[in-house]
Amino acid sequence: MASVAESGYIPASRRRRFSRRRVGQTTAPYVLLAPAVAVIGLVLAYPLYLLVKMSFQEYGIRSLFTHKGTWIGTANYARIFHDGEFWHVVLRTVLFTAACVSLTMVLGTAIALLLTRVSRFVRIALMAGLVLVWAVPVIVAVDLWRWMVDYEFGVANWTLTKLHVGNFVRHDWFANPWSGLGVFVALIVWGAIPFVTITVYAALAQVPKELLEAAAIDGAKPWSVFREVTMPLLTPIFVILTSLSIIWDFQVFQQIWVMLDARPSSDYYTMAIYAFHQSFQISEYGLGAAIAVVMVAFMFVATLVYLRQMLKTGEVY
Amino acid sequence: MKVRYLVAGLLVAMLAVAASTASGGTSRSHATKIVVWLQNDAQNGWPDAVATANRLFKAQHPDVDVDVQYQSWGTHLTKFDAALAGGDAPDVIELGNSEMAKYMAAGAFKRLTQSAFPNNKTWLSGLKASSMYNGKLYGVPYYAGCRAVIYRTDQYKQAGIKGTPKSLAQWFADGQKLMKKFGKNGGYSAVYFPGKYWYAAMSFVYDYGGSIAVQKGGKWKGALNSPRALAGLNQVKKAFSLSRASKTGDEANPQQSLVFSKGSVGSFWGNGWEWPYALDTKVGNPGLAPDMGAYPMPSHIKGRIMPTFIGGSDLGIPVTTKNQSLAVDWIKAFTGTAAQQEIVKGGQIANTTKLLSASKSNPKLAPFARAASSGWFVPTSPNWTNVENGNVLQDMLVKIATGRASVKAAATSASNQITRILNTGA
Repeated sequence: MASVAESGYIPASRRRRFSRRRVGQTTAPYVLLAPAVAVIGLVLAYPLYLLVKMSFQEYGIRSLFTHKGTWIGTANYARIFHDGEFWHVVLRTVLFTAACVSLTMVLGTAIALLLTRVSRFVRIALMAGLVLVWAVPVIVAVDLWRWMVDYEFGVANWTLTKLHVGNFVRHDWFANPWSGLGVFVALIVWGAIPFVTITVYAALAQVPKELLEAAAIDGAKPWSVFREVTMPLLTPIFVILTSLSIIWDFQVFQQIWVMLDARPSSDYYTMAIYAFHQSFQISEYGLGAAIAVVMVAFMFVATLVYLRQMLKTGEVY
Repeated sequence: MKVRYLVAGLLVAMLAVAASTASGGTSRSHATKIVVWLQNDAQNGWPDAVATANRLFKAQHPDVDVDVQYQSWGTHLTKFDAALAGGDAPDVIELGNSEMAKYMAAGAFKRLTQSAFPNNKTWLSGLKASSMYNGKLYGVPYYAGCRAVIYRTDQYKQAGIKGTPKSLAQWFADGQKLMKKFGKNGGYSAVYFPGKYWYAAMSFVYDYGGSIAVQKGGKWKGALNSPRALAGLNQVKKAFSLSRASKTGDEANPQQSLVFSKGSVGSFWGNGWEWPYALDTKVGNPGLAPDMGAYPMPSHIKGRIMPTFIGGSDLGIPVTTKNQSLAVDWIKAFTGTAAQQEIVKGGQIANTTKLLSASKSNPKLAPFARAASSGWFVPTSPNWTNVENGNVLQDMLVKIATGRASVKAAATSASNQITRILNTGA
């Protein structure tokens, strides 16, 4: 395009502005995009607009059936920013996300590297296992884990006691929030590893063998080969996987909600649960909406990184 | 050019689809069904009362079906809020008596005419009060319930306990005897007392003269850190030591009467319906029938009864309903004498004083009816439900049970939260 403009040459067809072919060429992409844009507008933009509007309103139970809130400006935002518990929840959510994402990435990559070394049979078995984990619906997975860490009959308590790790008879995993949140980190990492592993494994297949061999011949140790050759080639994939994981783990809700009988104590509030709690349990829907908007803003930052990488990747290839 | 028309046509079509779905559902000419939300206590405890009401209603309206949908206490208000906003709220809903004020204050219920309902002159006064807001009636009393200690008579005998305890000190001593005799079994609880069971825990607070909150000059103030309330909470902490129930669990998950029916529980605080439920042939253990008894929880003052939470439920008609007269007819059938007698059989206290004597003469209900003579109720603020749903008391109790905070620190933090929540919007 740039070269055309520089040369000053204008093709003849461009002068006929309404040639059928040209209209088709320029509008076709828009037509093809229109349904997607319409769907996004309906299911995303409009609810988001309502959410933002509600966050500037006092919206209680009466508003639910009159469908009218009272405009109170930024009072909801002022309230959450001056609320110590809110910042506690933000910090907890950030740390929780960091723990989940880093563990997912490290373990996921490690298993992907392992997959390239094992025999065909082991690889297929491992892959099948990963896909099965990926295929388990969240609610079913939570129920499975719930049984494992059950207070009275949990297999985790039974196994740990049998292995003489300690006396875990009637050990309550959720009595201490650190161990309770640890269970959730394990559950989420377990569920997220398959996607990361399979993606990284596919990406590893794209790393030219010659480069690895050349590095090995030059005397590089396996770790150096990974760091100096594989990592740089996979960086775009890692950035995309990490930002996607951040987006997913930041909004964790169902796992905690279902595992703790829809009544998690405040030690287990993540931002998503806190927003839900303010809305549906305290019936302050305006306040809940303000928290949700703040959360969307946080997520937007993560999404920007992701989009930038996507665009960059697009430029490279 | 054609393509532009195509785009325009597509957009028009989409708008049309959106518009038609938005206007759908408003044209309802003739109701063929009413939707009733009841709590699952009715499903477990007195299904015959529901059947009776439906039969009576069906006789009156043969072409209208009743769809009874059972809800659980933990989530029913969330669902109700969502249903109100979505315009598909039920035609009749059961709310706990402590949940009514919030919704009545918001104008979520239709106003009702008292004289239209059966036994309206003899409604239990506590339940009637919870159905009224600013002197107007918005709910119909459904049933009342209070808790007593349900226990294993055989285990008490084997542990050398004679009679039922007449004071809190004796109750603790009996608990220790039970633990000594059966506690070697690592799962045994002399008293099954899960960490979040706040109805039971708050009774100790009221027994020592404390309360959850007090009202002064129109303002509420959390009172759980008062010396009297703290005295009660210290006894709660002591009572937790007689229990091996989950310190982060509650009385409904798992259902405590079913845990009791499995054998390694000496006693628990239960509602009247939980006695027969423990003997249920499908989920309980009918074999326990000869070894079960109940007594009102004794006070720390010898010879007195510990105040119990006067619980219960009312039925309301959401303002969004289009079937008000049908809803009224169903409520009439469900709160009439015939259905109420089934509720009494199920172990609960009827909504009318006319049936009280029936409860007192039944040995399985008498302890509960006696317990009802000394009761406490939650602060009567429209914001109270937010304390309940905000898990304020549950969180405090978990901290006390697990020892993560001292009784005083946990109570002070809860008290401050209660002050803030109760005064919201006041």
